[in-house]
Amino acid sequence: MSEHVTEQDVRRIAEYARIGLTDDELPQMTADLNSIIDSLKPITEYDLEGVEPTFHPIGDLSNVMREDVEGTSFTQAEALSNAPAKENGSFLIPSILGGGDA
Amino acid sequence: MASFDYSALTVDGIRAGLAAGDFSAREIAEAALARIEAADAKVNAFLQLIPDAALAAADAVDAAVAAGKLNELGPLAGVPVGFKDNMNLLGTRTTCGSHMLENYESMYTATCVQRLLDAGGLPMGKLNMDEFAFGSSTETSAFGTTKNPWDLERVPGGSSGGSAAAVAAGMLPITLGSDTGGSIRQPASFCGVVGVKPTYGLVSRYGVVAFGSSLDQVGPFARTVRDAALAMNALVGHDPLDCTSQPCTTDFTANLEQGVEGMRIGVVPEFMTAQGLEPEVGEAVLDAIQKLASAGAEIVEVDLPNAAAAMSAYYVIGPSEAFSNLSRFDSVRYGLCDPGHADLGSQYEASRSRGFGPEARRRIMLGSYLLSAGVYDTYYYPAQQVRTLITDDYRMAFGECDCILAPASPRTAFKFGEITDPTTMHLSDIFTISINIAGNGGMSVPLGLGKDSKLPVSAQLICPWFQDENMLRVAAALEREYGAAELPPAFASGRAGE
Amino acid sequence: MKTMEQVLQDWEAVIGLEIHCELTELETKMFCGCKLEFGAEPNTHTCPVCLGLPGALPVPNKAAIESIVLAGLATNCEIEKHTMFYRKGYMYPDMAKNFQTTQGPKAFAMRGWLDLDVDGKGAEERLDMRDLAVGETHESATRTETGYTTHIGITRIHMEEDAGKMIHVGGGEGRIDGATHSLVDYNRAGTPLMELVTEPDLRTPEEARLFMQKLRQVYLSLGISDCSLEEGSMRADGNISLRRRGETEFGTRTEMKNINSFKALHDALAYEICRQAEVLEKGGTVVQETRHWDPAAKHTISMRVKETADDYRMFPDPDLAPYDLSDEFIEGVRAKLPELPDQKVARFQRSWGLSAYDARHVIEHRETSQFFETAMAQAGSEAEKLAKPLANLVINDLTARMNADESFDLASCALTPARAVELVALQAADTISSKQAKEVLEVVFGEDKDPAAIVEERGMKQVSDTGAIEAVVDAVLAANPEKVAEYQGGKTGLLGFFVGQCMKEMKGQGNPKLINQLLEEKLSS
Repeated sequence: MSEHVTEQDVRRIAEYARIGLTDDELPQMTADLNSIIDSLKPITEYDLEGVEPTFHPIGDLSNVMREDVEGTSFTQAEALSNAPAKENGSFLIPSILGGGDA
Repeated sequence: MASFDYSALTVDGIRAGLAAGDFSAREIAEAALARIEAADAKVNAFLQLIPDAALAAADAVDAAVAAGKLNELGPLAGVPVGFKDNMNLLGTRTTCGSHMLENYESMYTATCVQRLLDAGGLPMGKLNMDEFAFGSSTETSAFGTTKNPWDLERVPGGSSGGSAAAVAAGMLPITLGSDTGGSIRQPASFCGVVGVKPTYGLVSRYGVVAFGSSLDQVGPFARTVRDAALAMNALVGHDPLDCTSQPCTTDFTANLEQGVEGMRIGVVPEFMTAQGLEPEVGEAVLDAIQKLASAGAEIVEVDLPNAAAAMSAYYVIGPSEAFSNLSRFDSVRYGLCDPGHADLGSQYEASRSRGFGPEARRRIMLGSYLLSAGVYDTYYYPAQQVRTLITDDYRMAFGECDCILAPASPRTAFKFGEITDPTTMHLSDIFTISINIAGNGGMSVPLGLGKDSKLPVSAQLICPWFQDENMLRVAAALEREYGAAELPPAFASGRAGE
Repeated sequence: MKTMEQVLQDWEAVIGLEIHCELTELETKMFCGCKLEFGAEPNTHTCPVCLGLPGALPVPNKAAIESIVLAGLATNCEIEKHTMFYRKGYMYPDMAKNFQTTQGPKAFAMRGWLDLDVDGKGAEERLDMRDLAVGETHESATRTETGYTTHIGITRIHMEEDAGKMIHVGGGEGRIDGATHSLVDYNRAGTPLMELVTEPDLRTPEEARLFMQKLRQVYLSLGISDCSLEEGSMRADGNISLRRRGETEFGTRTEMKNINSFKALHDALAYEICRQAEVLEKGGTVVQETRHWDPAAKHTISMRVKETADDYRMFPDPDLAPYDLSDEFIEGVRAKLPELPDQKVARFQRSWGLSAYDARHVIEHRETSQFFETAMAQAGSEAEKLAKPLANLVINDLTARMNADESFDLASCALTPARAVELVALQAADTISSKQAKEVLEVVFGEDKDPAAIVEERGMKQVSDTGAIEAVVDAVLAANPEKVAEYQGGKTGLLGFFVGQCMKEMKGQGNPKLINQLLEEKLSS
């Protein structure tokens, strides 16, 4: 199996995806990813010169839009009903930069 | 004790019974609840039961019947239905089988769910699934495994394992599942029931928690082809809330009785010789081909030269879309929140690490990698080009045939813990994945029990875009040959898994 | 630090803008039917889509697509028929889905331009224009009578959605630094947002300011946005780098985000020019970074940013169908194009003989432009004669009043277009002096009366009777023999003193032109 990603790469990927990985989990995750990426090889072996990609299946669909007409919205209480934390009608989150004293 | 055999009822049977006054919808709902209570103790298909909602819906049906308005009710009047737990239904939790959404209360109702309710269906509850639909065995659910009613030591398949098992064990006549790479067809096959993945765009995805947005499609499980067709009638049609949904006014029951005479049924030689295809499955599919030929169908060989790359394309496109779709689970507006963090970054990481199980984390990581700068051009873009080739393959093949017949799964249901390697697990979907890539309709139809395993074996039918009625027509013909799906002996009438 | 003028002797600034504008004139959001409303109670305009609930799907607002096509046509862009929406991933709590739905390499509008007329003090910032003769061109700028005209390329205008709003609690003045926690409101999340990106064609802070101002005029004329800088519905990111005069390579650039006033845009860029020059002249290197403009401290500071380069994991959004805009659709939008600012300037010049400078400044605001047009219509046959004084009134008095007082509403104020015509007509007929006209204007605002009535009531009529004026002039000269001698000895600056004395005698009602004329005659005789 080739090494497509190193443990260091995996750490960066996890950081971007906001998935906390412990040092213990890192080797297994790296091995799993390398194994799956290995299985993607057929994709890289095609001659795809001039082949258009299909980002949307059922290709003839286009220009789907709605009229600019108001629909129903949640009340404030509904909007916040699943919020893990809230304050003053808003969703409450800890400090973004981590600079607070909390 | 009800004076009717609930588990044996079809949609038509329920309607006839309601019309004749043999039973009320409330009695149906109560019978369903009793059946679930007994059978689900063994199967564990349900994550949540909603008896109040079911009884309220039943009473509404009964009121209409009493007023002489049964004819005005939809095609599923009085039919107990259940939903895979990635479908939002106001007043229920929608967990996706994940700790991430363990306490998430739906704030709205998915269109597919609403359509079954509008058709008169009685909502009984929410059904177990692989976490966020990542899996082929329902073993990755955060809330325990669902057992295969044919053998409680085996998996029901996945990811819509709860939906398949609930129908197989006679708990519900109709359930909904979602299929991204085989998640309806493979568990239908493992559980010996009918499972339809409609053409992409036929059923609205609005309100169904997304896995792979360009691959996901909702469809029904049922024990008969006609029941599945009736459910399709209720489900399809344009939804202004889903840009990718398409108009459809087809009556999917219209040509079920027409037989296959004159139809061209395609067979893909590469599929029949695929590595990993169990002999009893291959033989059963060949037998089905024979039976269709005898019934007057023309059997033609068709080629899908690029289908072999479908698995790789799928494991690029699916995780990439999933990574993006699952980024919204961030502990801010809903979902699991690991408390007590001084900064948002550590709350994000802790919440997502606790909330997502191993398979979900793997797919998110994979998607994050595949979409990153540089890597995108190596895998993602070419995968979408390969998708064009696979789509063209199907288009070419359907120039020569009306419907393709293939295995649904390379094997029958396996035992819990039997497959642990992710890459091997992924091979469960070897015959189903290319259909999601190309967007065609596909369905599983039972072919009875395998001669070695005595477990259900199914064929898969694949149709051109938006010709799902022809696929159901072939399925009905096979059903006439093999008989409708039976209840497993342990769950036969009057038994509930003893 | 050197002044900008000093810096620009040796360095050339290369400036590009990214201007965001919310389509506030629409009823609903970009991808859902939630109402667009500024200042509502938090989280009262949300739904599954703009809260990013699991399972929700976007559906684009057709009116938003029409608006951006309109904006593209109005800025000379080519309309790209085949485009897609993309997902741009970044985890940030104001973005409910943790990706922004935006456009990829192809935007709805591509390759446009706007021409800027730069004049007055602002034109002086452009040193390379100074030595050119009128009509002479350097790069894409041409010298004109009053300054110069420069051609600014527009790379693209793409459609995207705005983020929600955050309030940072516990830090100083709502700043994110030092905050203990933050509150998120998703009312704004999903607001249709156009982002226009210019080519790096701007060379001075004044050009950047004028570009944004002109773009705002264009958007306002299209009726697609209120373009409110205060409420953030229009805001700019400016990027800037320096290079030695004569060089063609770009230097390292810095970026200032979310600038919400014309002055701040100008001043932030001007500061960066000076700061970067200082860094470079000391042999240092400019760091590519985002800097924050602090208008109170009048400087930019480096923002705390991660060192890794942005990688947004962009890919086409599978939930949104691609676009294949028809000619019919585009022509249908084109038919809705109103008169654009440049066309209006040309018409004002053509119809009433205004100078380009006056016409440009009269139409600077929608209100002044409308006011002027109504007044001209009421002036009837006098229109051409009154156009210039009316333009002066609009530019010098009314615009100043609007700039000084936010609550001043030209459309409902005491000076109606009819009164304005009356006022400038009184002055044009020499009935009142320009000084008196200013007084009358104040009284109109103060007492809500017609100018003619005020003049009548206060006996403010200007005395243009030569005999009466001559008598006063003679008396003033007779009373000040030493000053007359000084004047005649060469101290001609004393003329003002004599004029003042005469006006004082005549209680301000003497025709200053005649007084001047007579004084000069008599003093030089």
